[in-house]
Amino acid sequence: MKVLVTVKRVVDYNVKVRAKADGSDVDLNNVKMAINPFCEIAVEEAVRLKEAGTATEVVVVSVGAKQCQEQIRTALALGADRGIHVETEGAVEPLVVAKLLKGVVEKEEPRLVILGKQSIDGDNNQTGQMLGALTNMPQGTFASEVAIDGDKVNVTREVDAGMQTISLNLPAIVTSDLRLNEPRYASLPNIMKAKKKPLDVFSPADLGVEVTSHITQLSVAPPAERQAGIIVESVEQLVDKLKNEAKVIS
Amino acid sequence: MSLDFSFSEENVMLVDALGEAMKPWAGPRKAELTEMVSNSIFPQELWQTFADVGLMGCLVPEEYGGTDVGLLPLALGFEKIAAMGISPNILLVTCMDSACIARNATDAIKEQYLPDIVSGKSKFCFAITEADAGTNSFNMTTKATAVGDKFVINGAKSYISGFEVADYMLLVARTTSQEDSKDTKMGQYHGLSLFIVPTDAPGIEKQLMPMAFNEGVGQYSLYFDNVEVAADQVVGQVDMGALVMFNSLNPERILAAAMCSGMSQFSVNMAAEYAKERKVFRDTPIGCYQGIAHPLAMAKSEHEAARLLMLKAAWAYDQKWDAVKVGSLANMCKLMNSESALHSVDAAIETLGGSAFTVEQGLLPLWNGARLLKTAPVSKEMILNFIAEWELGLPKSY
Ligand SMILES: Cc1cc2nc3c(=O)[nH]c(=O)nc-3n(C[C@H](O)[C@H](O)[C@H](O)COP(=O)(O)OP(=O)(O)OC[C@H]3O[C@@H](n4cnc5c(N)ncnc54)[C@H](O)[C@@H]3O)c2cc1C
Repeated sequence: MKVLVTVKRVVDYNVKVRAKADGSDVDLNNVKMAINPFCEIAVEEAVRLKEAGTATEVVVVSVGAKQCQEQIRTALALGADRGIHVETEGAVEPLVVAKLLKGVVEKEEPRLVILGKQSIDGDNNQTGQMLGALTNMPQGTFASEVAIDGDKVNVTREVDAGMQTISLNLPAIVTSDLRLNEPRYASLPNIMKAKKKPLDVFSPADLGVEVTSHITQLSVAPPAERQAGIIVESVEQLVDKLKNEAKVIS
Repeated sequence: MSLDFSFSEENVMLVDALGEAMKPWAGPRKAELTEMVSNSIFPQELWQTFADVGLMGCLVPEEYGGTDVGLLPLALGFEKIAAMGISPNILLVTCMDSACIARNATDAIKEQYLPDIVSGKSKFCFAITEADAGTNSFNMTTKATAVGDKFVINGAKSYISGFEVADYMLLVARTTSQEDSKDTKMGQYHGLSLFIVPTDAPGIEKQLMPMAFNEGVGQYSLYFDNVEVAADQVVGQVDMGALVMFNSLNPERILAAAMCSGMSQFSVNMAAEYAKERKVFRDTPIGCYQGIAHPLAMAKSEHEAARLLMLKAAWAYDQKWDAVKVGSLANMCKLMNSESALHSVDAAIETLGGSAFTVEQGLLPLWNGARLLKTAPVSKEMILNFIAEWELGLPKSY
């Protein structure tokens, strides 16, 4: 069984992001980049399927500028077998990414596609669902457990009411939630091996996709700074402050 | 235009992977690690993580399970560990011993020891210092006498770090007396040999030295009473140990410098964060005062310069530059980085005020660590002697 996993290049989650002075975008100058954490979980799940003998090949794909190849290499060092880079100029919106991924799915014909449920930069939570619609493949989003069962995959999802388990016919799409697994770290021998693994580069034209844009970003602003809190002495004081200072109760 | 200060993708990935792997020890498990260090309990789990990331294989050829990627990535790894406030402990000696074995030992010895070093199964300590032979190693009197297909070792060593946790030691002993060596072609450099000795070999007695310093492993006085070692456990040629030894002392100095560089990073960063938050008079963070900001800025600049020298030394070692030139760079970078670490930790202590002395902030162990690395594995004076003699051609005074 071939598994396709997607990885997105985003600002490392340890970095405190800043807006550019003119408010046009997030400042990416000299900022450490990394694999989107949810994508890292997706890679880990695919690699575990391979280690368990369920998957035969793990192909990792990233859409974006040339530097995305760093994240593909990292995924290869974590255990993926082969990389595909769809090279675009700058960032592209979820619908375009989904169309490009559809092109890759048609080329590769994987039995399972695993994506992160969302990326920590745009927080869109759209690409997996859009890919499902475009390819007509069943989707299991927000997965906290994935179990292959013959020609089906059982996906346990974290929903508001608790846990829901659904069964999808393969080929299928899964998007990973935070608790699906705990990703491993790369080791030096695997980092060196990753250097030798194949990485193919495609352009959107190769996949028959025209890059268009329906979204314009107007401005980026940092959240308002939070004032320091205080510790109140008693319940009476708390009620008093809520009534008279914050005026949120009467 | 061949000068390029960017790191290769693999080096960046290694440092990132190590950062992820170390994260629990710098975060939620930090107190546990501090507790273990202060009680001299060896953090075996942390050691295994070093091995799993692949640090012990950096200087070991692929046929023995390593990656042989070189000293530069290993130095970046040491720096990263120290920059997270963690001491790499006896990783330094184990790695330098692995380099010595990989470069000089017989295939049989390499086969016997290197794969287990790489996997994390074996730890090594290094034993050269004696009570009357510290700076002047050639004064050593611990003797190895050839008897049939064995050597029999008698004598004593001191300050041997990590003997209690190590499985083996790389031991330097005399196979020809100083007197008889004098007239050979190599002069005083003749007469020393390196042996691999299991730490549980019959005839070794250990005594813990009471140190006012704790880096998590103890320092031991060792007494050798007719300790037998098979003749095939000699690393390099008999009597030519000095040549082999200097091969591994250079990486040791460079890795010590990398640790110092990490300590500088750790202390300056944490002090800058503290100075942004801490307010003493009105609403002004103490980082606004130049009395606090300038020493940190100075330490940061000094660190950047010292670090470049360390990276150059590691790179030159990997490029197999001439041994004397690598020796100079290794010495200079150890000197500059230990000074830089001391200045950085001092500036950090000044910034944190009283809280610098709490267990939680972990600055005092760093102060001790940085101060030790000014004296050991080679002292500042001996480094300056080396540079005066080899770089400046000044006469030797001792
Ligand atoms: C915590 C700790 C861990 C150690 N771990 C190990 C270990 O694992 N294995 C091991 O083999 N050793 C170890 N050592 C020993 C260490 O390497 C020695 O202490 C060091 O080499 C200095 O030797 P010494 O203590 O005998 O000082 P001495 O040789 O007595 O030197 C005293 C002072 O005189 C100076 N001096 C000497 N000659 C000259 C000269 N010609 N010109 C100018 N100044 C001079 C020295 O620089 C030094 O400052 C350790 C030491 C410590 C403190």
